[in-house]
Amino acid sequence: MAQLTEFKQTGDLHPALGDPATRTLNVGKLTGRWVNTDPATDGVVEVTIAQEGEHFSVGVVGVGSDGPVNWPTARGRVMANLEEEAGQRAVALAADFDFGFMRVESYLRVNKGVLVIVAYYTFLDESNRSDYVNREFFYRAG
Amino acid sequence: MQFAQIRDRVPAADGPLDLSAFPGTWVNSNPETSGIARLQVAEEGGRLTLRVYAIGPEGLIDWGTVGAKPFTATPSTRAGTGFTCSYDFGFAETELQAMLLKGLMVLAQQHRFKDASGRMDYFVREYFALSHGRY
Repeated sequence: MAQLTEFKQTGDLHPALGDPATRTLNVGKLTGRWVNTDPATDGVVEVTIAQEGEHFSVGVVGVGSDGPVNWPTARGRVMANLEEEAGQRAVALAADFDFGFMRVESYLRVNKGVLVIVAYYTFLDESNRSDYVNREFFYRAG
Repeated sequence: MQFAQIRDRVPAADGPLDLSAFPGTWVNSNPETSGIARLQVAEEGGRLTLRVYAIGPEGLIDWGTVGAKPFTATPSTRAGTGFTCSYDFGFAETELQAMLLKGLMVLAQQHRFKDASGRMDYFVREYFALSHGRY
């Protein structure tokens, strides 16, 4: 391993970032099917996170006018989450979705058993809708 | 109108973006942080810029100034409540994603290493308050 010399903040030198065990810590807390805590949501109904080797896939279902809307499956980029969850190191995911008319950049993490998704929506069409940010909460489906 | 969730099937928003919530110096709530100490946010002509000062072993590290992309709270409103921006340091890239909640800035940071150090990419959130000098 190369010497850890380059950094732009001291957090870059955290010992956990060079520990191979960090890559596998608590990934099970993220995987599975998650349902929105708000039954009246007009946004995302459910999220499914699956692990395929070293990669994660993120499937999202949105609320449509005539039924659910399946979003294109995104690859989740795994990151060490330097916030501790109940004294344990955790991981977080970043996932981007491209609809052509809209792009969604999101990050996902688990906090006390709740999946929290913060998503930044950018409209690429001529609709003049405002780009916006939204946060939603999900519980693990039985 | 195309949409992926019914929330987005709304009329177009009118008027310019209101970016008045952002400008100023935002200070980390955690004095023991090993990450970003403070942010300077400026707005001019409808454009947001951001300058980051991070904690280094021998003092603050100035990341320099970058443009930031504002976001509202809904697709039909015009008040800015968040922003994103990115820094490229050569050996690493950092994406910052901010959301304002009742005067608090929640700043998510995605740090991706591009060097051969073997370090794992990492995520951290930190909280910042606007120095307003009223009290």
